[in-house]
Amino acid sequence: MASYTVPVKFPTTVVGSYPKMPQAEEAIKRRKAGEISEEEFLDLVKPAVRDVVNDYVWAGVDIISDGEQARDDMVVYFAERLGGYGRGDWVRVFDNVYFKKPIVTGKVEWLRPMILDHWEYATSISMGRPVKAIITGPYTMVEWSFDIHYRDKRELVLDLAKVVRRELEELVKRGAKYVQVDEPALSTRPWREDAELLKEALDIVFKGLDAKRIVHICFGRLERIIPYILDYPVDQFDLEMKNSNFRLLPFLKEYGYNKELGFGVVDVHIHQVESVKEIEEAIDKLMKTDIVGPEKTYIKPDCGLKRQQRETARLKLKNMVEAAKRAREKW
Amino acid sequence: MRVWASTLGGFSRSRLVRRVLRDYELGLTSYGDVERTLLEASSAIIGVQVASGLAYVTDGMLDWHDIFRPFVESWRNVTPTGLLRFFDNNFFYRIPRFTGLPEPSRLVLAPRVRKFAPIAEPSGFKVVLPGPVTFALMSSNESGYSLEELSEAIANILAGEAKAAVEAGASMVQIDEPMLTDPEVSRDSAVLAAELSSRIASASGPARTILALYFDVPRADVYEELLNSKVQCLSLDLIDALERALKLTASKGFGGHCAVLGLVNSRVVHEDPIDKLSSIAGKALKDYSGEEAGLTTSTWLDLIPYDYSVRKARILGLLAEKLAHSRAWELVWRAG
Ligand SMILES: [Zn+2]
Repeated sequence: MASYTVPVKFPTTVVGSYPKMPQAEEAIKRRKAGEISEEEFLDLVKPAVRDVVNDYVWAGVDIISDGEQARDDMVVYFAERLGGYGRGDWVRVFDNVYFKKPIVTGKVEWLRPMILDHWEYATSISMGRPVKAIITGPYTMVEWSFDIHYRDKRELVLDLAKVVRRELEELVKRGAKYVQVDEPALSTRPWREDAELLKEALDIVFKGLDAKRIVHICFGRLERIIPYILDYPVDQFDLEMKNSNFRLLPFLKEYGYNKELGFGVVDVHIHQVESVKEIEEAIDKLMKTDIVGPEKTYIKPDCGLKRQQRETARLKLKNMVEAAKRAREKW
Repeated sequence: MRVWASTLGGFSRSRLVRRVLRDYELGLTSYGDVERTLLEASSAIIGVQVASGLAYVTDGMLDWHDIFRPFVESWRNVTPTGLLRFFDNNFFYRIPRFTGLPEPSRLVLAPRVRKFAPIAEPSGFKVVLPGPVTFALMSSNESGYSLEELSEAIANILAGEAKAAVEAGASMVQIDEPMLTDPEVSRDSAVLAAELSSRIASASGPARTILALYFDVPRADVYEELLNSKVQCLSLDLIDALERALKLTASKGFGGHCAVLGLVNSRVVHEDPIDKLSSIAGKALKDYSGEEAGLTTSTWLDLIPYDYSVRKARILGLLAEKLAHSRAWELVWRAG
């Protein structure tokens, strides 16, 4: 395998999801219809993963993902592959658009690897670039599912933490150096009791795991959560910053933030491509605030890029990488 | 004490309703088809509530895409725009954009009351309004007027809605101000909400009026201001954060308002423990001296699948009966 050296200062990375390639869309549809097996499904999605990896490499991103091409939804994908989840039921997302919200009907159990196959495939074609292992976290899984079995949020969150742990162990065994747990639901309920529950869960997920431990949180009331999460057992928080105009920075400063920072510099909700200069200025802003140094700053988009057009996503990443390059010369 | 029950607001859409709305959007069916299906589905929802012994019922608001939408679509100078998360739910509403002060071009509620209130007998018919402060705070205000002026303009139209709805036969008017439970809402917003809900209440004639607060528990200083509202009843979500809710009712009470307790959890699908809820109701009403109290769901029933929303209405009815029986309260199951 080719080797690749991740830059010491301002390594660039992604949060995880990428626009769905047509092959992936088609395969998801056929899998839902029961026309193909899980193995056939994973194979059919591989060309999509290849396209994503090629885009990352073209843009020059250092630490990449598989683009989450197999996942139609960040909760449903796992619910359909774990024990303990029953058939979901329809709830409204907006207007007259509905999705089948998963329902926990028994004790949740890890059955077989869920993200390993595409992680391995992406790793095999990344020309040495490390691929992050990315999974939806236990708190978000619970918040965005129904439960008729546990009837106790804490118990269910902690059981799902064991499941997530089991999956990540598989990946670390196969050589994953970066593991990321996505917890977007946390910022919708910015209470101490919720943050403490997630800490308890992350102790289970990450304890003794030999990899860089990352938690992604985005949008909502991030500033209210920061004081509660500083002692989480993680190496890095991967945060949305650009969309909220970096208003989090003074809070990080105030609370003495000292972990690595995944610094969101690309807005995933707007279609306009940020210029290199604009991203460079964002990095300058962080450096001047003097919270973390260049070695602890990872440059990345706010969140997953799945809602963008592929071409826009490519260009956004390309400019991001270029801005990080320039920043390395300056700081 | 007299005790009655009523679900807080809208219901989920059944498969039939989802399908007809989708077909209509795709141009595959006529508006007449949509209207007929909605009449049937709403009648079924009303039947569920009446049979569950709920004293006041709603039509389920099955055609509302979000709480603001029917009003936004019936007023000038405001349009629905992009999506934003609706509180801490996995549900998104369209942000209303005001480009001037709103002017009504038609009434939203009165025609529904005329259609559905007769079906609701012997229960009373309840209409639900988005609170003017929540409406303004959750909109994008490009009107050129202050938030206060915008809220006031909205309140004036809603007062007209309430008046016409009561004249058409509504016996309960509920004003929803969930934004007032936001931990960061200002005390000024609470003062404004109290004043504007009073204005809507005074336009509501003989109907019972409720100020509904849910998704969380208001801060004590915000709640103090809301207690100044001239509405008859105050509805609290006791379930989302039980400890904080009970602390608030213990320290501040209901300020002479009729207490309405949001007890049946409408954001989860498992069956509610009725015995536990009875004991929570007892705690919340420990020092309460009102002559009547209401029981309700923690929020609207539109965040869970259809089957479960129907089941939760039934559980609410069971809870009311059980409570009335065990505490020798008089159960009110029809509008008096
Ligand atoms: Zn995110």
